[in-house]
Amino acid sequence: MKTQSFYMRRIHPLVFMAIVTIICILLTASLHLSTFDRVKNNEQFFLRRSILDAAAVPHDGQPETVARLYQESVTEKDGVYQVKGTDGTMRHVTQFTGPGLWGPITIMVGFKNDQKTLAGVSIVSQNETPGLGARIEEPWFTSQFVDKQGPFRLVEEGTADSPEEMDAITGATRTSESFKNIMNRAITQSTTKSGGQ
Amino acid sequence: MAAAGMKKKTFLAPLGKDNPVFVQILGICSTLAVTNKLENTMVMVLGVMFTLALSSWTLSLVRKWIPSRIRMMVETMVIATYVIIVDISLKAFYPEMWKQLGPYVGLIITNCIVMGRVEAFALQNKPTLSLIDGLASGIGYGYVLLIIAFFRELLGTGSLWGFQILGSWWTNWSIMVMPPGGFFMLAIFIWIAHEGFIKKNKEETHV
Repeated sequence: MKTQSFYMRRIHPLVFMAIVTIICILLTASLHLSTFDRVKNNEQFFLRRSILDAAAVPHDGQPETVARLYQESVTEKDGVYQVKGTDGTMRHVTQFTGPGLWGPITIMVGFKNDQKTLAGVSIVSQNETPGLGARIEEPWFTSQFVDKQGPFRLVEEGTADSPEEMDAITGATRTSESFKNIMNRAITQSTTKSGGQ
Repeated sequence: MAAAGMKKKTFLAPLGKDNPVFVQILGICSTLAVTNKLENTMVMVLGVMFTLALSSWTLSLVRKWIPSRIRMMVETMVIATYVIIVDISLKAFYPEMWKQLGPYVGLIITNCIVMGRVEAFALQNKPTLSLIDGLASGIGYGYVLLIIAFFRELLGTGSLWGFQILGSWWTNWSIMVMPPGGFFMLAIFIWIAHEGFIKKNKEETHV
């Protein structure tokens, strides 16, 4: 009688927990494995799309188109993506990361062949406040850098008109500030590299 | 008849007088965190409803075999499994949404409503009833969040579900989409709910 109660008290909970754990792990692991390729494809699609966006290569956002355009026009060398633009010139796209308000902001910055003029900017990942800082993902914000050379300084939203000004986002001063810093770091790095060549 | 009445009662309680958010004040962290965009809120609500209903059902199904001293570990394990299923499914099939919600999906595990309903209800009741209770609690949680999100997104950005609703004459109340806006809206909601229909119930119980 006593041994049975010892089993029920000490061993049975362990066995029960072990069985529950094994069932749960089997479930989640099989779901993970069955969606593994899909998840990987999604990640690759996001990365390729942001590279094409930063190089200002137009696309319709469909995974097939993005994959095809990437195959046709992009080559990677030492972390720099060389993208052949629609007009035949080369664009140089590099990834940059900097601290945002809530977490890191990772962006792709594309330069035209002179390594100074911006071809485009796109967001890889960000965790800013929805409706405020997260508006850096909106086209009006990312497209404002096209054909400018920087380095930038912030002006009030909707008032940037000279080449070294960039629109800040109202209500997201810290996000705008760190975005400007990332941009200026990208510009400095690109110009020193081209100057050294 | 009694069983049907019980089911109806179980279903209706979390929608009104036993609402998890504005009566039991549970699940407040996610109420504050995800309600600044209607779209994100909807996904969060569906995730919580799914987890709540199925973990209540599963645990109710095995409630007689769970050794009582390790029941919380078993509960957490089952809840976590369902949350991971939601997370992986979003990641694979709605990656854009998954990118936006980020860590919030994983945090469903710590939503007190899930554990609370399992402990308070599912471990004492039959699976079907527990499923109804979980689902109803999810709906009770969901509609509060959606109402709050409606006002926060509309006042904070002038848009709903990402579409611009209010014209350029509208000045965005930026504070509404920031954390303080969540506190204000939730407090106002709880106040209205208590002044409105909760008060009557209180008076009844006092008499």
